[in-house]
Amino acid sequence: MNQSGLPTPPPSTPTPNPAQSSSSAPSQSSSDVSLASIVATITSAASSPSHLNQYLRNCASKDVREVLLASILPGSQDPLTLLTARDHTLGMLYILSARLHSVASDKPLWHHIESFCRDFIPEHARVAPDRVTLLATGIRQLADVEGNPKLAIAPLSDLLVKYPPTLSHLTTIHPIFVTACVATRHFKSAIPVLTHPITTIDLSLSDLTYQDNLIYHYAGGIAFAALKDWPAAEELFEICASSPGSVASAIQMEALKKLALVQLIYRGKTSPPSKYMHPVLLRLFKATPYSSFMNAYPLQRDYLRTIVENEQQLFTNERTLGLITQALNRAPRWAIKKLTTTYLTLHLSDIGRQVGISDETEVKSLILSMIECSEISAELFADGTVSFSDPPVKFEKSDVDRVLAQAQQQDALLVRLEKEMERNKEYLTKAVKSKDDASWPAMDEDGAFGERPPGTWAEDMTFA
Amino acid sequence: MEIDYIENEVSLSQPPAVQRRRIRPVDDAHPFDLDAYISGYSGRTAFDRLVHIISTCPTLAPQALKLAFAQIEELRDPTLYQTVMNAYDAVADLPEVQLPPTSELCSVNTAWCEEVTKKNQAERTKLEVELKTYSNNMIKESIRMGHRDLGDFYRATGDYIQALKHYTKSREFCSTSQHVLDMCLSVLELVIEQRNYAHISSYVFKAEGALDTASAAATSNTTAGSNSAAQPPKKSAERDQVQSKLDFAMALFHLGQANYEKAAQLFLKIGPPDSLGDWIGKLVAPGDFAVYGTLCALASMSRSAIKSQLTGNAIFSAYIEQEPYVRDLIQSYLSSDFKNVLELLERYSTRHYVDIHMYLHIYDLTNLIRNVAVVLYFQPFQTIRLDRMSTAFGWTVDEVEKEVVALIQSGRIQGRVDSQNKILKARKADHRAELFARAIKTAAEIQSANRKLLLRMRLQQADLVVKPPKRREQDRAVEPLQGD
Repeated sequence: MNQSGLPTPPPSTPTPNPAQSSSSAPSQSSSDVSLASIVATITSAASSPSHLNQYLRNCASKDVREVLLASILPGSQDPLTLLTARDHTLGMLYILSARLHSVASDKPLWHHIESFCRDFIPEHARVAPDRVTLLATGIRQLADVEGNPKLAIAPLSDLLVKYPPTLSHLTTIHPIFVTACVATRHFKSAIPVLTHPITTIDLSLSDLTYQDNLIYHYAGGIAFAALKDWPAAEELFEICASSPGSVASAIQMEALKKLALVQLIYRGKTSPPSKYMHPVLLRLFKATPYSSFMNAYPLQRDYLRTIVENEQQLFTNERTLGLITQALNRAPRWAIKKLTTTYLTLHLSDIGRQVGISDETEVKSLILSMIECSEISAELFADGTVSFSDPPVKFEKSDVDRVLAQAQQQDALLVRLEKEMERNKEYLTKAVKSKDDASWPAMDEDGAFGERPPGTWAEDMTFA
Repeated sequence: MEIDYIENEVSLSQPPAVQRRRIRPVDDAHPFDLDAYISGYSGRTAFDRLVHIISTCPTLAPQALKLAFAQIEELRDPTLYQTVMNAYDAVADLPEVQLPPTSELCSVNTAWCEEVTKKNQAERTKLEVELKTYSNNMIKESIRMGHRDLGDFYRATGDYIQALKHYTKSREFCSTSQHVLDMCLSVLELVIEQRNYAHISSYVFKAEGALDTASAAATSNTTAGSNSAAQPPKKSAERDQVQSKLDFAMALFHLGQANYEKAAQLFLKIGPPDSLGDWIGKLVAPGDFAVYGTLCALASMSRSAIKSQLTGNAIFSAYIEQEPYVRDLIQSYLSSDFKNVLELLERYSTRHYVDIHMYLHIYDLTNLIRNVAVVLYFQPFQTIRLDRMSTAFGWTVDEVEKEVVALIQSGRIQGRVDSQNKILKARKADHRAELFARAIKTAAEIQSANRKLLLRMRLQQADLVVKPPKRREQDRAVEPLQGD
């Protein structure tokens, strides 16, 4: 095995000979040399991250490269011990990700992974987004293999918080992290990430697929639902269910089912579906027992119960039994809430009749708990009369100011986005074309082309 | 082909309440004068109405049967004997009804039957031969007339499907818009007779189109002539006549679709009786307009609209004269004497249920009028005791409460019931707080919508859209869950 052909520092064309590519393990020395040289290049730190990336990417054919990167230095020295995350982010990233995915090699020690995720330099790592994805999936797999999926959460969380410029950028780490949290029922760990709504998609930052978006929002919805943060769960499920697409995905279908249940729990009724939802989804949804459950909610409790009993198997399989049961348990509350808009006073027995609970003490405790949670404002008298009153409405000046400030912020954001959009090449090509066709004469009056000197449009392309 | 009315009626999807009340009493509390009623109609509709009366009011059935038998001999369709006897037997079979058998009341005139059948056969052959000759000669106008005559013939003998076929066929051979108009009116007569409401609108639209071109052509002709000033009124009178028929047809269409407000507006628009020409009697009686228009208006229109459009409408007042109780109904309504309104509705419910166009909707209309009455009654009050309402409407307190609760829940009454003390209180709205609450809610909603839309836009820009699975492109329903 002649290893002289293998490139040493300045990156040259990888010319792996056939013999080498078949050499996975046989020659210990061959890998040593190359890995050593790679480590040398990494530690030399002479080149910029992008050059180093270029080199690491092309230093050998794919299979060989991964095997090399996953191997260890002679004298069973771990290359990772020679590197630090702060100085050799890219190199460590390559080695870690390769080692995590190779079958034969020793897995890297957890403390390496953890220290890397804690200390790496995000700007360097962004040069190789695919390796970051590999690292993230690798971390989760490793944790699974070790039978302790919880281990993955901390490093993934560090990685995720540091890697994107802001948390509103969607990355491939997002779905991996949140599904890991959900699978291990560590819902709380996901909250700091989930509270940042995703607003930016940058494909150069992360090699995303549409499934990443769907899975992230779906899993996020589950996390919020498990923590009973219904409004947040509703929003995430809705984003998932109404994501764009020419066809509907099964993930979206599941999200729609859960969305309906969350709305029933949180609002007592479902809101009209977003107009961006794929029509096939809604049609399919109508055929499910969820739809009949939704329509009977909250008044026909006996019917609701029969649905749950008959479809128990389905609900268990689809892992919605928990939400269904919660919705079912809350049904009388919504029924009572409806009564408050109709009646001023009612006797407990009347309430019980209306909501289908025959036991008066049960009604009483229900009303009491609703008053305690301030779901209704009511008074309970000794003779069993309940008198409902309007919930007190309080608005502080600060509330109004806060809303106004948010609105202004939103406005500023939209103005900025619109300007960015107007600089967008595709948009301009289209707009100018339509203008030539004289079909959109209003464009000019809108000031879409105001002030900007002509000729700089095409160069002025900062919008990514 | 025989149209079986009994089956027809049963097959119509009726709310259970209507089913239950199909048998209507005729007594002092529910007066109904069959002779006076039926004398307003002639021809086929009189027969149809008698059949309907037989199935609705068993007390009148023998009398109606006799009248129907008499009516049949003026028509040309021997199968009607079977229709009316079927209707009669169906009612006689009901457990709570005791009726003499048909044979005791009157007998089928077999000689007449045979004669008419023979005549019909001969005429059909004649007309078909004529049409064939015309078709061979390719004379457009004659072919049109041939189809029209055959349509008329089939209609008279009760074969509605064939009649419709020939009428619509004749359209292909129409050369002027007047012909199209004639055709549409014939079809309208046919479908109204058949009570096929869903078909009405398309022919009304066609007729209106034809009417527009016809009158446009007429005006252009007259302006070309010298005395253009004198001509238009004449033309427009003719136009009004057709327009009234179309309005009536359209009103029936809306009634058939339970669109009472539109129906009311059109009924109130109908011109004076003579503008409907031979449709009066042949299809409808002037008194019917009063009933249809008033009930639809009371159920759907606001009080001020009723005042201006119903009582201030000279033409419609003429119709109201035909049915004096309708005037009482409107007067009681306008003077907020709702008890009287409801009593009148109950008293004349038999009159309403025997109407062949109205009976499917009477239950709903009565409910609507009752709801409107309760809403109107409560309007001026801040609080009111339910027992006061119960005396005003002649109901028990429980009924009032049920009614009021239903109206609150449907959002028609802004109030709440104090069920313990039986008081209805109007809701005091804090508009300031409401406004703030709504503004803050809207702000939050818009923000969240913005966020979602922006994300959506970004996703589309990055082409992160759901794509069909690569291998199974044809199966576009739902792809298997992937990547989870």
